[in-house]
Amino acid sequence: MKQVKSVWLMLLFALVITVLTVGCSSDDTAGDDGSETNEDAVEGDWDGQTIKVQLIGDFDLEDSTDPITGETTQGLQVIKDEFESQHPGATVEFIIMPWEGYTEKTQAMITSGEADVYQMPGIADFAAQGVVEPLEPYIEEDPDFDLDRFIDNQVDGWKALGPDSDELGIYGLPFLGDARFIAYDKQLFDEWGVEYLSEYPTMDEVTEKAKQMTGENPVTGEKNYGIWFRGDWSSAFTLINLAEGQNGSWGSGFAWDEIEFNFDSPEMVSGLEWLLEMQEYAPDGLVSDQGSEKWLTPDNDIAIMLNQGPGDTIMSAYAQGLGDRIAIAQEFKNDEGVGGMFAGSPITMAKDSENKDLAWEWMKFATSETVQQYIFEEANGMPAIQAAETWDSYAKVENLMDPTMEAMSTPWTPRYPWASSQPRFILTSEVEAALTGERSAQEAVEKAQVESEEWLENRN
Amino acid sequence: MAQINENGVENTVTINDNVETIKSKKRKATFTWYIFLLPSFIGILLFMAYPIVESFRLSFFKSNGTIESFIGLRNFQLVLTSKTFWNTVWNTFFIGFFQIFITIPLGFIFASLINSVRRGQNFFKVVYFLPNVTSIVAAAMIFQFVLHPEMGVANYALNAIGLPTSTWFSDPSTAKWGVILLAVWHWIGFVIIICLANLQAISPEMYEAAKIDGASGLQQWLFITIPNMSGTFAFLLITGWIGSLQRFNEVYVLGGPNGSPARSIQTMGAFIYERGFTGFEFGIASAATYIMFVIILIFTFINLRVSRMQL
Repeated sequence: MKQVKSVWLMLLFALVITVLTVGCSSDDTAGDDGSETNEDAVEGDWDGQTIKVQLIGDFDLEDSTDPITGETTQGLQVIKDEFESQHPGATVEFIIMPWEGYTEKTQAMITSGEADVYQMPGIADFAAQGVVEPLEPYIEEDPDFDLDRFIDNQVDGWKALGPDSDELGIYGLPFLGDARFIAYDKQLFDEWGVEYLSEYPTMDEVTEKAKQMTGENPVTGEKNYGIWFRGDWSSAFTLINLAEGQNGSWGSGFAWDEIEFNFDSPEMVSGLEWLLEMQEYAPDGLVSDQGSEKWLTPDNDIAIMLNQGPGDTIMSAYAQGLGDRIAIAQEFKNDEGVGGMFAGSPITMAKDSENKDLAWEWMKFATSETVQQYIFEEANGMPAIQAAETWDSYAKVENLMDPTMEAMSTPWTPRYPWASSQPRFILTSEVEAALTGERSAQEAVEKAQVESEEWLENRN
Repeated sequence: MAQINENGVENTVTINDNVETIKSKKRKATFTWYIFLLPSFIGILLFMAYPIVESFRLSFFKSNGTIESFIGLRNFQLVLTSKTFWNTVWNTFFIGFFQIFITIPLGFIFASLINSVRRGQNFFKVVYFLPNVTSIVAAAMIFQFVLHPEMGVANYALNAIGLPTSTWFSDPSTAKWGVILLAVWHWIGFVIIICLANLQAISPEMYEAAKIDGASGLQQWLFITIPNMSGTFAFLLITGWIGSLQRFNEVYVLGGPNGSPARSIQTMGAFIYERGFTGFEFGIASAATYIMFVIILIFTFINLRVSRMQL
């Protein structure tokens, strides 16, 4: 009897192992989108070649309904079909990851050779590791490809240093555009009788107007605040932009052993003092990202918003019926018209990709009008190419897109090399310390300078 | 084996090869269970033992994940001399101390009250246990609204009874208390359930004898209930401290990896995350992990001695 029981247990065990093995094993016949590989693919130059493309963000493989606009959007399947029809025999598989923890996930993926093409905002860190392919040889040898297709400064912004190079090189092509700007509510300006912000406002102009619009709204009787800025996560970049607006800079250098910080410069001190002054015209709670809950709603109570991005502003404003009420001015620029954080995402090719030619084809395709228009119209992303200005969909939101395109062409480039490293967190914490009264502006930036230099010394 | 019977004839006992001995049956049965244990054992080796060893190795290297160089004990030196790290140790202990100091007595009092009511015990158990079922991440997001400087329920209530309000998470001095409030709210259901289980296991005869001796309700609670709860208190103390020292989720939601504002709620776990996963300093993060492990080990040992808990 016991022997029978034992046999049954063994059979059960074998069944469990079989189920686990089948369930956990990779399915070579299916893409990550769950769709089966097209086994009947037309034979061609790319016959049998497959590339895996990693994407970060709110991409959907299937058609879906946008929770903000309520409109049905097309899934990535249309892009996949288009590319595969243009490249007979080739197969594209997408690997989509959320923004949360994208750096460490990308690191894990690229270390284990999971994909051929990566969306890679932290390109500087990865290029230095030698895990991404330099693109200049592909660009030079491809007559069909021209860097002029991109918005000005976008290519320069993503240049990075390779593991053995001394000069910045092209390791990524601009894929998703992004920018930072000052947004404001024209209705509140009208109700207070204040002139709209100029296209390139100065700190004095913002101060004066923020002061005027703080208090009881003369029309609605509601409490209004003149200004808001995020006092925690992105506050370091807000401060750096203030320094740039006064012809200062964050420092210099790109390779870690060449970097010098200017965190304790006079421009940084006066920038932080300006933020402390502006805090008086803002709601309580901006250090913990609170107080702006009514922004982009019909009940908005904030006149001017510093350091905003297009992804959270443009389509959201239109979805709320505020497309004509919200306006955009440029961040603070220096005398040469440059300033503001460079942001967005480039696409890169993995050094260990086995289908580099096809990967390059995909990179060209991803920066073509077809895909860039898809990103703008279906995926709520910003295009990185100049041709966007000719699209009908662009014309519909032109009043917000024109200044956004302007902002994308005039940021500080290349991207701050410490943007996702310890100096950023040191500076952020010191801005918070100043905003919460723990330290004076002078003490805060001096401490940030000392700690960042110590970190740099230990890193090199 | 040969034996001689009473008639002088030799009896021969042979063991049939087809007959299983008890010993071989037991061996087979044990072997079967080892096979069942194998998958989970492999999982433990791959996903627990290996990362622990690999992390220890990394703590001696300067590593960004792909490029590594051996630097000996420098990571440990950097962490141990870092003011930021010791600030996170202070934050972790501060939040943990007040969470435990408030929750265990309060939970015990609530459990005693629930235990003393005749009707609706299950209702109260469910109501008080609900916060513990809630994800701490979701709870932290809700608490951002509860403790909102202008729209929050907490400030509304304080204002209603004439007490001063606070900006909570926008002030380093009150941000820690915001986390403590959240931690107490989330953990108290667990404390109540554990205390209730012990309370219901105390022999009723002891209370009857005390009543006969003329002990009041308060005296019974002080001299019978509380001494009988010592094992439970020790358990809650040990597990509470271990959980507190590993605190990460709620402070990450509330203050990001650098514990905004001004690192006031950054815990040891958040420090490790910040250096490892946002700054690509895996060597420093690994060294900090082992230092945190040693701190927890020492503190738990002290707790065990103080509480005289038997493991």
